[in-house]
Amino acid sequence: MKFKLENTGETLDGTLVKSLGNNEFVIKIGNNERNLKIIDMGHDKIEFVLDNSFHSAKYLENSTSKITIVVDGVKLTFNKRPDLDKIVYKNSGMESAADSQISLKSQIPGRVVSINVSQGDNVKKGDIVCVLESMKMQVSIKSHKDGVVKSLKLKQGASVAKNDVLAEIE
Amino acid sequence: MIEKILIANRGEIAIRVIKTCNALGIKSVAVYSDEDVNSKHVKMASESYHIGPPSPAQSYLNMEKIAETALSCGADAIHPGYGFLSENADFADLCEKKKLNFIGPSGKSMRLCGDKMLCKAAMIKAKVPTVPGSPGIVEEVEKALDIANEIGYPVMLKSVFGGGGRGIRLVHDDKELRQAFELASGESKAAFGKSALFVEKFLPKIRHIEFQLARDKHGNAVHIFERECSIQRRHQKLIEMSPSPVVDQKVRDEIGQLAVNAAIAVDYLNAGTAEFLRLDDGTFYFIEINARLQVEHPVTEFVSGLDLVKLQIDIANGKEMPFKQKDLKVNGCAIECRINAEDTFLDFAPSTGRIYDVNIPSGPGVRVDTYLYPGCTVSPYYDSLMGKLITWGQNFEEARQRMQTSLSDFYIEGVETAIPLYRTILDSKEFISGDLSTDFLDRFKILDRLRDDLKKEASQKSEVAIAATLIHSEFLKNRIRSHKEHSPHWKTQLGRN
Repeated sequence: MKFKLENTGETLDGTLVKSLGNNEFVIKIGNNERNLKIIDMGHDKIEFVLDNSFHSAKYLENSTSKITIVVDGVKLTFNKRPDLDKIVYKNSGMESAADSQISLKSQIPGRVVSINVSQGDNVKKGDIVCVLESMKMQVSIKSHKDGVVKSLKLKQGASVAKNDVLAEIE
Repeated sequence: MIEKILIANRGEIAIRVIKTCNALGIKSVAVYSDEDVNSKHVKMASESYHIGPPSPAQSYLNMEKIAETALSCGADAIHPGYGFLSENADFADLCEKKKLNFIGPSGKSMRLCGDKMLCKAAMIKAKVPTVPGSPGIVEEVEKALDIANEIGYPVMLKSVFGGGGRGIRLVHDDKELRQAFELASGESKAAFGKSALFVEKFLPKIRHIEFQLARDKHGNAVHIFERECSIQRRHQKLIEMSPSPVVDQKVRDEIGQLAVNAAIAVDYLNAGTAEFLRLDDGTFYFIEINARLQVEHPVTEFVSGLDLVKLQIDIANGKEMPFKQKDLKVNGCAIECRINAEDTFLDFAPSTGRIYDVNIPSGPGVRVDTYLYPGCTVSPYYDSLMGKLITWGQNFEEARQRMQTSLSDFYIEGVETAIPLYRTILDSKEFISGDLSTDFLDRFKILDRLRDDLKKEASQKSEVAIAATLIHSEFLKNRIRSHKEHSPHWKTQLGRN
């Protein structure tokens, strides 16, 4: 099986070679064969000894194509199907420049303190669209592009979650 | 004598105060908002009382409600912690009026410390050097622009009511100043109900060094050494340490005495902090007195051996401090890293939510003050400070190494933290050599180094992660099969037992 490490872009090959019984296995990563012994396992975690060193791993996300795993406190994201991923990426339009992206999303959770533009306004990249408050800090959300405010999904005083669409700018 | 203290605060500092209360056999009273029903301080206190909805204005800032709660439960003193009502002179006055012992300075002294303009005047009179710059409060943005152009950009825009870095903005031109002026007055109005800003010359490559103060009702005043707090982001401290790498005993004596003079100049009572800026040429400028227990007080506790909350309670009780300046000696070195719920790569934007798992480091010379436990929630209503990791060593290097291993052991699942950033900083040759300044992160492009470090770390763990995934997916396959065969136990499938 091929694994693409999103953190660095490197691709590694891994296979389960054989089971030795008693929860011991031989696996192969790259060209190296290694011994692995399971200590404990649950639906989203595993504790094991790999060549005499103890490790613990926990899955934060485990879908058919993507794995987010915390290994000994370090978070890694793998793509199990790097080939497939590329195709999806292309077709979803994600590859096109950020400029053509319409929605302005909130990168933080917070409360809307002020709305600085109106529907139909012309805005320039970097203009303040609204101000959010979270954890006693006021953060201004700036337009990601030049354009016209097509719609505003904001209400003064309302709360927004991370990744909520705040406005559409075309 | 104080027998029961109401702690008008939440989070790690409420817990910190409760711990000293317990050690002294004093009853502790916690207060909480709807948002904090499940918070640790509520569970740890001798008694806990609900005081209102999540919004701080209706709960932790509600003076009448808090004073009323204290009186009705029979508390004789109030500890305000830091933030919230800790530097609110009206609250200190209200406590005095209601015969509640406010553990901190008097309202009058607090007013003087809190009014940056009056305080500056008092310091000039006491011959304590202050930052050269603005004559007073600037009400109109046009006036601010005039001053800024007169003293030259960049300038700092500060709020008279700010503190802990809030309401301070660095601006480089007229356009930025206009934007910042609006945001800063909005923030100040939201937090304090009023706005008053002033402009000060921006000093490049400065260190932030502060002195811990204590003054009792008998007129005894001491400083308990300095804390170097130069590693900051957006003017808020991230890492603090004591002693400072640029303060020797001679400088400590000299600037410490200035700090004590500053405390006397405002008739300060109890524990407080005099903050200074230090220029590269060794010049110190007084900036303000923080009329409260500081977030970073544990580093001073480590190197002095004192319990500062106990000292505060003793002073509030009218006791004389049991030591003189000459009795205080710096022992070793302590470093603190603030564990904030913030996303380093999103310009330190808040990150909130449930904490699914947490591992708290421990060991020789390691202290963690935190409200975290597995299953707790980091609320968007309050400060992002979840905890503090403090390490002590016989020297800087030992403290630093203990910090490094403790940071690696500190695991928090659910929110983003600056723990990886701290590891990169602690590893940098500039930090090790003590080349610190408030623009440390930008000056050494620390975030770029952090990105490299994270890549390296992920790369090192990639084989282990693949090993885990190979075996785990085998387990999942077996589990699906076992469900079909009505044999629920995976262990049998993998040959265990």
